Amino acid sequence: MTVEYVDAGEAIDQGDLSGKHGTAPPVVENVTYERILDARSEPQNWLTYYGAYNGQRFSPLDQINTENVKGIGPAWIFQSGTSGMIAGASTYAFEASPLVVDGVMFVSGWDGWVWALDAKTGTEIWRYKHATPFDISLCCGNVNRGVAVAKGKVFSVTPNAHVIALDATTGKKIWDKTYGDVRAGESATVAPLIVKNMVVVGSSGGEFGVRGHLDAFDLDSGEHVWRCYMVPKPGEPGSETWPADGQAWARGGANCWLTGTFDPETNLLYIGTGNPAPDFDGEVREGDNLYTDSIVAVDADSGQIRWHYQCTPHDVWDYDSIAECILFESGGRKLLGHFDKNGYFFVVDRTNGELVQITPFVDRIDWGNITRDGKVTPARYPDKEGEPVHFYPGPAGAKEWTHAAYSPETELFYVPIQDVGATATRRRREFKESIPYWGAGVQVDIEDMTGYVSAFDANGEEKWRWRNNLPMCASVLATAGGLVFAGTPSGEFNALDARTGELLWQFQCGSGHHSSPTTYSVDGRQYVVVPVGWGGWAEGFLPGMLGAGHGSALIAFALPEESPTR
Amino acid sequence: MTTSSAQDRAELLHKLGLDAQNKGPIGRVITTGNIEQAKEREDGTMQIRLRIHPDEIAWDPAVIVMPHGGDLEIEIFNDDLNTHCALFPSNGDRKFIWLVNHSRGRARLNLDGPGYYWFSSPTGNDEGRGLTGAIVVLGDVPPEARLDRPEQPRP
Repeated sequence: MTVEYVDAGEAIDQGDLSGKHGTAPPVVENVTYERILDARSEPQNWLTYYGAYNGQRFSPLDQINTENVKGIGPAWIFQSGTSGMIAGASTYAFEASPLVVDGVMFVSGWDGWVWALDAKTGTEIWRYKHATPFDISLCCGNVNRGVAVAKGKVFSVTPNAHVIALDATTGKKIWDKTYGDVRAGESATVAPLIVKNMVVVGSSGGEFGVRGHLDAFDLDSGEHVWRCYMVPKPGEPGSETWPADGQAWARGGANCWLTGTFDPETNLLYIGTGNPAPDFDGEVREGDNLYTDSIVAVDADSGQIRWHYQCTPHDVWDYDSIAECILFESGGRKLLGHFDKNGYFFVVDRTNGELVQITPFVDRIDWGNITRDGKVTPARYPDKEGEPVHFYPGPAGAKEWTHAAYSPETELFYVPIQDVGATATRRRREFKESIPYWGAGVQVDIEDMTGYVSAFDANGEEKWRWRNNLPMCASVLATAGGLVFAGTPSGEFNALDARTGELLWQFQCGSGHHSSPTTYSVDGRQYVVVPVGWGGWAEGFLPGMLGAGHGSALIAFALPEESPTR
Repeated sequence: MTTSSAQDRAELLHKLGLDAQNKGPIGRVITTGNIEQAKEREDGTMQIRLRIHPDEIAWDPAVIVMPHGGDLEIEIFNDDLNTHCALFPSNGDRKFIWLVNHSRGRARLNLDGPGYYWFSSPTGNDEGRGLTGAIVVLGDVPPEARLDRPEQPRP
């Protein structure tokens, strides 16, 4: 006798079984370019990756301040965890910078996750999950650094190099464009930047011998507006810095894997570019290798390069210059401050790229030196095949991608610093598309390392230093409450006095920090929120903590609701 | 002991008990089962049938191959005498279905690829016992997403 099958129906969204689903209020509907231009006039919100186009990561909120910060504690915790097998299961990290718009938080996770949360309670409102191939090329872990919001949409990139636009109220996809080639080793990790009616994104994949690029898409339709390659083709300006023969340029790197800053007066995007490829074998790519390891000013309308300043010509240490370009004014000049992986703090005139000053910001630099007028002299580098060479800083740099902050109130830069070296042994290999293309064996030190948060003025003078026994590998946040927040690899989240560096408060979050905390307020209560989840390229920036526990929590801190000090 | 051909591999899997429950290891080593290509309809949608046979605690096929990115419709049969479920990758959210003994269900997935994805039965340790399978998406990214450079050598 044939027994009829039980009808199991149709598979449903896993999120429908989370007990938490709904629709967000239309708070993003009226987030326009004009509002983002003036983002810091809305201190209750964090509208764009750095909090403002200037990249300062400074908030005017001061409810939590030097006097009362010792009283803050967790207001809520959001956790996702993982299920099933994901790409880079051993290397995922929670690296995002949460955005907040009128009480709704938008944050991305690893492996294609985007969430909308109630910023007051941490309750999930909706989720989006992009299916991520298990076998994509990820040099540095399954990570994503954040989303952008505008005109009713949330924008994110995916590990397999798509840029997607989601309905900010429901999380449903509106458009989806592929802008990288996963078969070539490209991926995407960057937080998009809204500029005018465009969403600007860069590519990852610099360890696979790709050709880095920056792309702009129309916010409404997803139509491609422009692409700016960061390695010129033969005959284009800058091509003379690559070998005339062969295809070194085609595999040259210079990926834009970190969000740029923008000045509406110059109409320029300020982008840091990544390392040349192969990372450590310079002999196959003689020349300065423009526009790798550079601060590049790109016209926002045309996508054309207007000027550049190369921080490490002919890099053979993996010293990406992707770090943020912080815009500030001093002495009547429009300037740009940049703390490079090579250990030097560069200040340039952001109207034309003219060098203003250079100062070392980490104690140990022996790869070479850069004089005050910008002359670069290499000293220690992997030159001979098979011969190990030790150098400081290691390939993760004296400061990796994790961001510095600048307070216009103290006129100080606050910098998370990694003082750790590495040994590289040149090992030449053929280029093959999608296969790692380093040109060396590399081992980062697991002993004799340290870290600190330092405060520098615009002249490069160090004003204070807060020391840690481990390198500092998370972005810092400065507030008008006179505070600098800085997470450690061992899990502590710290509040420092912005004027003295004194440690005022500390909370153990249970996993190491490798993300960008932000701050906002809802109904008059200020929160400081930090994604916590150790991982990423730990073998590069802190292999001594490779065995530390992973996590995936988003923790919001606030003063007690009835605090008399509020 | 190594294998030198597909036939050798199948024989060795069987000889060592890697392709069945509680013979070699406790469970069945994942993706040691069948491989099948999804069929493509005229509208471009791809489709395939997926089964769990009695006491095998494994997907048949264990590896589903889509000729390109797009929509995949799966008809799922649980012929086992136990209850399982399925969690599939799909753009937007993962798709979940509960599969009681002797049940039949459906799933509609969207995968862009290229690359491969895992699916499984996330209950108890079905995943470790053998109910973990792969969906492979063939093809290339759209031409406009490819780098402007000469063709490069691949492995």
